[in-house]
Amino acid sequence: MKPTRFGPSLYGTNRFCMASSSPLHVAVIGTGIVGASAAHFLAAAGARVTLLDASGPAAGATGASDGAVSVASKRPGPMMDLARHARAFYVRHERDGLFRGLFHRRSTFLVARTAIEADLVTRHGADLAAAGERVVEVDRATLLARIPGLGDSVCAALEIPDDGHALGYEITQRLLATSRVDIRRNAPVSEIVMRAGRACGVLIRDEFLPADAVLVAAGIGSAPLLGLGEILIPRKGQMAVTDRATTAGPAIDGHLMAASYLAAKRGIVRDNSHIGLVIDPLMTGQFLIGGSREDHRSDHSTDAVTIAAILREALDLYPPLAARRVLRSFAGVRSASRDGLPIVGPHPHRPGVVIATGFEGDGICLGPFMGASAARLLLGERPEADLSSLSPQRLVRAEVHA
Amino acid sequence: MREAPILVVGAGPAGASAAATIAEAGLPVLLIEQRDQFGGAIHRQPAAGNDSHVWRPARHRRNWAGLMARLQACAGRIETRTETIFLGVDSEGRFLFDDRRAACVFARRPRAAIIAVGAVETIRPFPGWELPGVMSAGGAQVLLKETGRPPEGPILVAGSGALLPALAAQLAKAGNPPVAVLERGRPWNAPAALARLALSWGPMSEAAAYATTLATSRVPYRCGAIVTQAEPDGDGLKVGIRVGDQRQVLRVRHLLIHDGIEPNRTGIPLPDPDAAVPVLLAGDGREALGADAAILDGRRAATQVLARLGQATRRMRSDERGLIRARGFQAALTQALHSEPVVPAPETLICRCEGRSYAELAALAPDASAREIRLMGRFGLGACQGRFCGPMIAALRGQPLPAAIPPRWPLRPVSVAALARLTTDETE
Repeated sequence: MKPTRFGPSLYGTNRFCMASSSPLHVAVIGTGIVGASAAHFLAAAGARVTLLDASGPAAGATGASDGAVSVASKRPGPMMDLARHARAFYVRHERDGLFRGLFHRRSTFLVARTAIEADLVTRHGADLAAAGERVVEVDRATLLARIPGLGDSVCAALEIPDDGHALGYEITQRLLATSRVDIRRNAPVSEIVMRAGRACGVLIRDEFLPADAVLVAAGIGSAPLLGLGEILIPRKGQMAVTDRATTAGPAIDGHLMAASYLAAKRGIVRDNSHIGLVIDPLMTGQFLIGGSREDHRSDHSTDAVTIAAILREALDLYPPLAARRVLRSFAGVRSASRDGLPIVGPHPHRPGVVIATGFEGDGICLGPFMGASAARLLLGERPEADLSSLSPQRLVRAEVHA
Repeated sequence: MREAPILVVGAGPAGASAAATIAEAGLPVLLIEQRDQFGGAIHRQPAAGNDSHVWRPARHRRNWAGLMARLQACAGRIETRTETIFLGVDSEGRFLFDDRRAACVFARRPRAAIIAVGAVETIRPFPGWELPGVMSAGGAQVLLKETGRPPEGPILVAGSGALLPALAAQLAKAGNPPVAVLERGRPWNAPAALARLALSWGPMSEAAAYATTLATSRVPYRCGAIVTQAEPDGDGLKVGIRVGDQRQVLRVRHLLIHDGIEPNRTGIPLPDPDAAVPVLLAGDGREALGADAAILDGRRAATQVLARLGQATRRMRSDERGLIRARGFQAALTQALHSEPVVPAPETLICRCEGRSYAELAALAPDASAREIRLMGRFGLGACQGRFCGPMIAALRGQPLPAAIPPRWPLRPVSVAALARLTTDETE
């Protein structure tokens, strides 16, 4: 059965939208990986979807990130659990064809270069194991056999063998190509229009686009549309991409993640110029090397001092990079929430509006699953995982206490 | 502290002219050149160990000798860095350079910058243009200037523009005249434009010299002829040609193609004469008007910078008139050689770096964003970052390839090790 405006209610009442039995029309704001996934699964369930973006598909963080579908890097607690659901979602859709050829299983190596880092890695490994994740301790000799040329400073590592890789823009493109949705590029939404206490459409410049429900998945652009205050902090990340080391797939057998990255993720370092080093071997044989964590920076420019610092770190961890050339540098802007957890769920006081943003650096991993979950919320169905810890309701409470 | 210099990138005619003008006014200059010698493409000097000079018009030789003498006269105020690649400007206003000899990237903060990096050649793609044996005519000309030797075996020169007969004549003088020159345009159909061209004495006398050489060497110059495809054929090429409704196949060893030039702007900072650190473009990198105009344009840019820095300068009205004349000449030439674009066959390669075809370009949404064209289309994403395929894509899509804003650095691939060794002139 197609969902209609009479159909399962959308978190609140539908009594003001009973004029016709045409399919539910959802305006999805943001054509990043989250919006594209929501649109795909809404359309698959029979809803009519209009995808809106101020620029175009994958224009934001989706198109400017590494491709880690990684449980290894997640903070213990709900994020680690949700990342396991999200990765399983990739695996399932790789099998059913939706993500075929785009999602690849590959190990993450959490790499320590000092005794303190080794301790951190060990602790993190215990947390992963407690969450049910397979974790393999790897000594230096074994690691060298897997990744020849690794730097002298590397003393310990953990392998998380069930992680994977996917490029955000490729997933986005696939989700869009396999669903019938209207995509409107260069369509910046300035306002969600409420009528009789419920969302009835959006304003795109001077144009009113009617809709039965609205999904806000606009990354850093979400906050101005929600009326919940400054709920998102932009956190810029600079990265570099190299030329091909090989034309036969990834140049090394796993994703290298320095303990410095883990330290940032676990909230141990809060330095605004911190580098959380990852070396991501792309399917093209190129390397993606990142990245900086610069709070309150939402521009996409890169500076030579930061990129050079990232490369020095990367050369220390994996010296064979010296033979590569940097093709380009770029920056992505992560949308971080104040408590570090994504914001997914119905808007606290605007019926008909669902929010899915604040994924920070985890959008590629979590995005498809969270988009599908948002679609279920819009259809009045229960998501496959417990998203209560991500509920936007917590932002209202925080505001009251502040 | 020493006074920060005026940066000049590129030591072709525009850069050399700009550098000399500024140094003559008493200001320090940092002159950056990617090759081991000055000259740019037009005045490319023979490589070390080769003393056979390629024939070139006397006017060009005189112009270059004059510029070199001026640079020599104020060499004390010019810091030159050769074999150094301009990588662009970073978000903090650092101008970045890849010193290939030292294998080290260095950053400088100049008082002002004049970017004179010349033009890029454009081609109209056809199936097979990427094959070994096919080369851009400008690239072949530069190689000829460096080595003094023409390529061996039968050569076909094809495309459009004034470079075709010039290169053909130089190949003939060097001992291997091409089998033919194929000009896509039909100038006889544009008599008004031809009449305007005839009024330009300098370029026309140069053209007459080329025509004489081609006639003497019996090189046919055919108009309205286009290359439709190239296929491997032994150690050479089988080239399909169309003239009107007639089709023909030529077997050659080398196919040299060229369909004009465009300013090289990929990754180049946007001009901003009013910024705290003024940035100006000069020469073919600003507007493709040719070598003579580049000298005037370099002086124009230098004069503008000097005025900005409070140096009294004389405004060169004759320079501006010269630029207007050059613009008129180029416009007439473009009109005379105009030909309607041809839609390439679907399998035609567009992006050589990433191996992307015209079919894949055509599959992109008409309003695709810069991100979509680059990431999803994989156009402009490879080693050239769109410098070569950009103009082609712009012509085929009927709209410019959206540029990254701000322009991305590095604008040329740079060694990871060299960039990791970054040095800056800052006290940090």
